[in-house]
Amino acid sequence: MHYVKLYFTCIKRSIISRLEYKKDTIISILSFLFSNACSLCSIYFILQAIPSLKGYSIAEVGFFYGFSMLPIALDHLFSDEFWLVAYRRVQLGDMDMHFLRPVPVIFQMFAETFQPDGFGEVIVGVTMMIVCGINLEATITFGAVFVLIIGAIFGAVIITSFKIIFSSLAFIFKRSGPLLQIIYNFTSYAKYPISIYPKFIRIILIFVLPFGLFVSLPINTLLYGSYNPYLLSLWIAGVAIIFFALSVFIWTRCEKRYESTGS
Amino acid sequence: MIEVKSLTKVFRKPIRGRGVLGMLKTLFSRKYKEIRAVDDVSFDIGEGEIVGYIGSNGAGKSTTIKMMCGILTPTSGKVLVNGREPYVKRKVVAKEIGVVFGQKTQLWWDIPLIESFKVLKEIYQVSEEDYKSRMEFLSSVLGIDEFLTQPVRTLSLGQRMRADLAASMLHNPKILFLDEPTIGMDVLVKEKIRQAIHALNAKYHTTVVLTTHDMVDIENLCSRIIMIEKGKIIYDGPLGDIKHRFGNIKTLTLTIPANINPQEVKPYSEEVDLITEKDKVMLRFDADKVKLEDVVQYAFSNYQAIDMKISDISIEDVVKKILAQQEEEKHAKEI
Repeated sequence: MHYVKLYFTCIKRSIISRLEYKKDTIISILSFLFSNACSLCSIYFILQAIPSLKGYSIAEVGFFYGFSMLPIALDHLFSDEFWLVAYRRVQLGDMDMHFLRPVPVIFQMFAETFQPDGFGEVIVGVTMMIVCGINLEATITFGAVFVLIIGAIFGAVIITSFKIIFSSLAFIFKRSGPLLQIIYNFTSYAKYPISIYPKFIRIILIFVLPFGLFVSLPINTLLYGSYNPYLLSLWIAGVAIIFFALSVFIWTRCEKRYESTGS
Repeated sequence: MIEVKSLTKVFRKPIRGRGVLGMLKTLFSRKYKEIRAVDDVSFDIGEGEIVGYIGSNGAGKSTTIKMMCGILTPTSGKVLVNGREPYVKRKVVAKEIGVVFGQKTQLWWDIPLIESFKVLKEIYQVSEEDYKSRMEFLSSVLGIDEFLTQPVRTLSLGQRMRADLAASMLHNPKILFLDEPTIGMDVLVKEKIRQAIHALNAKYHTTVVLTTHDMVDIENLCSRIIMIEKGKIIYDGPLGDIKHRFGNIKTLTLTIPANINPQEVKPYSEEVDLITEKDKVMLRFDADKVKLEDVVQYAFSNYQAIDMKISDISIEDVVKKILAQQEEEKHAKEI
């Protein structure tokens, strides 16, 4: 309970920080609106140009793309601070203040920044899902909707876990940003149906870097009823929880290696 | 309150070549140099003490402080703060200590000071009444209310330090670690901060461990000093003792006209050391034995000085003297 209250206090702090500079705030709101409008337009034009994609109808492709944005957006909302840890903060010895507070350092990282840009991505994603979803031929069942929600939320947990694991390596290497970037780029594999990849990559995307798990499989369940939605939900949530636990374990191990800087 | 037992911190640094080629070579070499930043250090600090932890730059002060507050994990040995190891029970110990680093602020840069305090209140779970009464006291000793609504980034160094000090006291810690609390400040602000530290110590009986380069800080604040050099403790005892050992050493530096050969100046007496440089004469003496005004008068009437400066002994001088003395004692034993 203390942590829930503390989280909201910190988030409020992070928003106040973002609003502190008037002109910067106005510019970032405008650029936020502009970039989201652009991404909606470009997706619209792409979908117009391609009638169908390897057996997927245009509505299916759009729905797929829109849904694939959700886990990435949710991760973006809550865990943006880890990029700074990986690229800068450990190297500059800028983490001292967090080590002095009676709260887990990893919690403070989540509470340090709340990235409202993620909201835009959620809105764009959901809009696409609605627009394309109307034209889908599949019958929408409760189970399918359930597995989509689980896929979005726990998909974000999986992405965040990888972010935690690779940013905690900064405690050992001093800077792990480029490495984290490489791993994070694999999330773009989530944006396409898993059936388009060769078998070898498919196995990796389900069992090793499970970015193929939480988008493609729930959508196939919705469109073709390929899997039992509840078993699939359980599997996705299970994988996410295991990776998250692993990432917290690795982080707490690595944070002991923090060296700060001379002063 | 604080027990430190044969505390050691070793940093392993790869031995690097110079330039781009040298740096490339290090990528494939497995040679490391061990730097013993803190080497087998032990001491105890009791409740309510104000201890000066001093030494020259790079002596290992900050590293020790960082281990005592749980940022760094020691290579060997241990620290007990109130019976607990801070790097193991970090969260528990963090509630009992307050830390201020002179060089890094712990407040959020962009937001008004008062907002930072509100977040800290939540982090340390300070009750509303405690928060109010402490804020009142802290404002009165540190004078922070004049800039409470300003963002931290707009504060001057002195204001920021007072704000940091207030932030570290908000949860009423039993121990306060201050790393260079007066660095880079003018004399008036330094004085204000010293008074505040005294007031905190008197009101809450807070144990204070501070590192500093300023001899005046030490004389005004600390009853005990621990001196460290190259990671090892070279002195631990009351301030009075060290003064007694080295006296109240002052140095009078005179700038003399170019036409006078410094070699020709006459010494004042045997009790005053005479050091000469190109156009400078330095007289070093114990102000408890020789009167300062006598030396000044003598100097002006004899050396035609164009400028003069009186300085107290610096920490670096004390360290040098202690090391020299220990060296002598060692020689004496060997003979």
